[in-house]
Amino acid sequence: MERRDFLKTAALGGLAAGLGPKILGAASQAPAAPPDLAFALGDSPAAITKAAIDVLGGIGKFVAKGDAVMIKPNIGWDRTPELAACTNPEIVRTLVELCLGAGAKKVTVMDNTTNQAQRCYARSGIAAAAKEAGADEPFVNPRRVKKMAIKGEWLKDWDVIQDFVEVDKVINVPIAKHHSLCRLTLGMKNWLGAIGDPRNQLHQDLDRAMVDLAAFFKPALTLMDAYRILVRNGPQGGRPSDTKLVKTVVAGRDYVAVEAVGASFFDIAPADLVYIKLAAQRGLGRMDWEKLRVEKRTV
Amino acid sequence: MKKERSRKHRALQLARVAVQAAVFVLFLVLLFGTHFSGKDYIGDVGVLFHFDPLLALAAGIAARAVLPAFVLAAITLAATLLLGRVFCGWVCPLGAVHQAFSWLFKKTKWLRPRKVVTGGLFWKYLVLAFVLVGTVFTLNLVGVFDPFSFLYRTIVTSVLPALGQGLALLTGLLYSLHLNGLGDKLAQAVETMTLNGTFAGGFLVGAIFFAAVLLNIVRERFWCRYVCPLGAMLGLASRWNVFKIRVDEDKCVKCNLCTLHCETQAHPWPAEKWKSSECVYCETCAAICPTAAITFPAKAGAEKTPDVDLSRRKLLLTSTAAFFAVPFFRISPASKRAPERLIRPPGALPEPQFLRTCVKCGECMKACPTNALQPALGQAGPEGLWTPVLTPKIGYCEYYCSLCSQVCPTGAIKELTIPEKVNVRIGTAWINKNRCIPYFLGRPCIVCEEHCPTSPKAIKFVMVETKRPDGTIATQKAPVIDLNLCIGCGICENKCPVMDDPAIYVTSVGEQRSETNRLLLPTAADAPPSK
Repeated sequence: MERRDFLKTAALGGLAAGLGPKILGAASQAPAAPPDLAFALGDSPAAITKAAIDVLGGIGKFVAKGDAVMIKPNIGWDRTPELAACTNPEIVRTLVELCLGAGAKKVTVMDNTTNQAQRCYARSGIAAAAKEAGADEPFVNPRRVKKMAIKGEWLKDWDVIQDFVEVDKVINVPIAKHHSLCRLTLGMKNWLGAIGDPRNQLHQDLDRAMVDLAAFFKPALTLMDAYRILVRNGPQGGRPSDTKLVKTVVAGRDYVAVEAVGASFFDIAPADLVYIKLAAQRGLGRMDWEKLRVEKRTV
Repeated sequence: MKKERSRKHRALQLARVAVQAAVFVLFLVLLFGTHFSGKDYIGDVGVLFHFDPLLALAAGIAARAVLPAFVLAAITLAATLLLGRVFCGWVCPLGAVHQAFSWLFKKTKWLRPRKVVTGGLFWKYLVLAFVLVGTVFTLNLVGVFDPFSFLYRTIVTSVLPALGQGLALLTGLLYSLHLNGLGDKLAQAVETMTLNGTFAGGFLVGAIFFAAVLLNIVRERFWCRYVCPLGAMLGLASRWNVFKIRVDEDKCVKCNLCTLHCETQAHPWPAEKWKSSECVYCETCAAICPTAAITFPAKAGAEKTPDVDLSRRKLLLTSTAAFFAVPFFRISPASKRAPERLIRPPGALPEPQFLRTCVKCGECMKACPTNALQPALGQAGPEGLWTPVLTPKIGYCEYYCSLCSQVCPTGAIKELTIPEKVNVRIGTAWINKNRCIPYFLGRPCIVCEEHCPTSPKAIKFVMVETKRPDGTIATQKAPVIDLNLCIGCGICENKCPVMDDPAIYVTSVGEQRSETNRLLLPTAADAPPSK
């Protein structure tokens, strides 16, 4: 299936899911469609990742046989997992395994890092985990960066790393972190790792840039790592005391809803985050996540 | 008489070429391996430097220190005392380069030794004298001439950047030929190798090396014959070695081929003129001899052989010149007050001691993961040429990395563990509010704060009001620096979106290695003065 076709189908599916609760309310005996949002709690990052995907109906709902899949964690910093600056490597490993298990022909894990790429890939533990699970973990190749039309409200065009667009499915796997400029860095901010430099200039209107990029990359699935979140000194932290164990992942097709849940871990109302509000206003997803069908599972 | 070349010496000659090639490959393997490859500690990739007795002696004298890692240099010295300058002929990687080019220039007939040359050999002894006399007065220039430093520095600061550009072109070519898989592989390999691509003055370093290579057209192994102070030092040590030349006068047809093709002007024939101190045991004379008349038998209690025409007068003059040259190499504003942009790598000794100890080899520049360490041109004065300077606009000091301190062969950068390194302050960040986006333009930014690696961050933000050109007021988060927390790593300057002249920048003040280039003294409240 072409990515575009998939997205159309997905949009229709989303529409149907949106109507879902009312229909379900009328006929409670009807077989339940998978929920919109999955929460999974537990001690094992791998187990909660599996559980969250399971709640959503299995990875097969998002990845088709023969798909080329890009998994986009946050590998931005030269920090080890206990500092919660990068996505948990076990979560990445599990997602790679699930995708390959669903028949994906190729899974790639990559990020445009901030610190030296080798150091981030190695010390985050993500490169090793991805490789062991059977994914490719290339560094950003400056030759594979091309200016593309973002067609955003603010960002019209920018250099995009081609690996992120030359695939059938993109899965966003951010980690929930504190950030001084935009308060929190969640899923949408993660897309700054899929574009070329001078991306630092986007901080002049970071909220809009994030929303434009999220709308451009259109992830098939967003799974937010809130196993260990970064509560201060973000987005890098530096001390284990800057982190907080939440032992949760949140997953869903609606990345705005996932983003809104992410904010709740920091006791911030979704509407208080400019980019969530902008994204919801643009109809990219829903920030009133409590109104969606949510299923929690503890493992 | 039977006319036959010596097969044994031909075999030895080929063995010598093989050893040279092997050492050169080892040199390159260690050089290419000098980068982060997943581990915090890199191991002894600079080990070849420690076989160099000249570096040990010169840096030792200049720094007034014993450099324990250089114990390996005793092997080189012992081998030279016993076997002569086999190091130059068989081991030295720079010698191998000059030998290879000399061979090439002979093959292309650009170099045609037609008459016996004599003289000029004394120059390298004068270079040695100049360097060593300088070190007595704490001026350390050995790195300019030392073969290991010369070769390593050249490869790192000029050959690799050129190679990087070449490989980038090749990658582009592969993609344009639709060989995307190969292109991806090559790009990945290049990124993994960490080929630092930018070095201040890399062109000049490369040009000097190129000139030294071209001089092989004038004379075979020109550098080794006339310039190399390590060769001179080993020459002094090799006068009494056990292998002395023997020319069988019965076999000798006096064709003079041996002396014409002697790589280092040691003058094999007539044997009385042979200079033990110049012979590098390359085996060329013995292999080229049409009647196999030349051998190198071992002789106990070897006799003295002719000296190089090194007069006491020349030596004295050079030593005097070196003495008077010392102050000239120190004419620099850097000696008056600390230069603001002379940011040294973490672990660098205090400046005077650093200059005495650094041998300008470029190991640290190769190891640096961000290309931040650059060869100094004028910043550190003439004596500090090619010493490492952290240049944040090019690269920054990676927080959890101490590779430069681990690879420094002389300890000019003191070896640091990662927990030690993260606390080393190498400078201090400053904000140019006239260029800073929130301060001056009233727009959001604080990229510097985001990148500041310490916890708590040394860069914090405050809300500031900025008057825009139209008179309206913008309120934005703007960066401020907590000087107690800033370590001067320079990532803020490196990532500042103001591209040409970053609005946040690091200067050397506050570097903890200096007792004078300080800024914040503890206040009475922090630490009441006590005695």
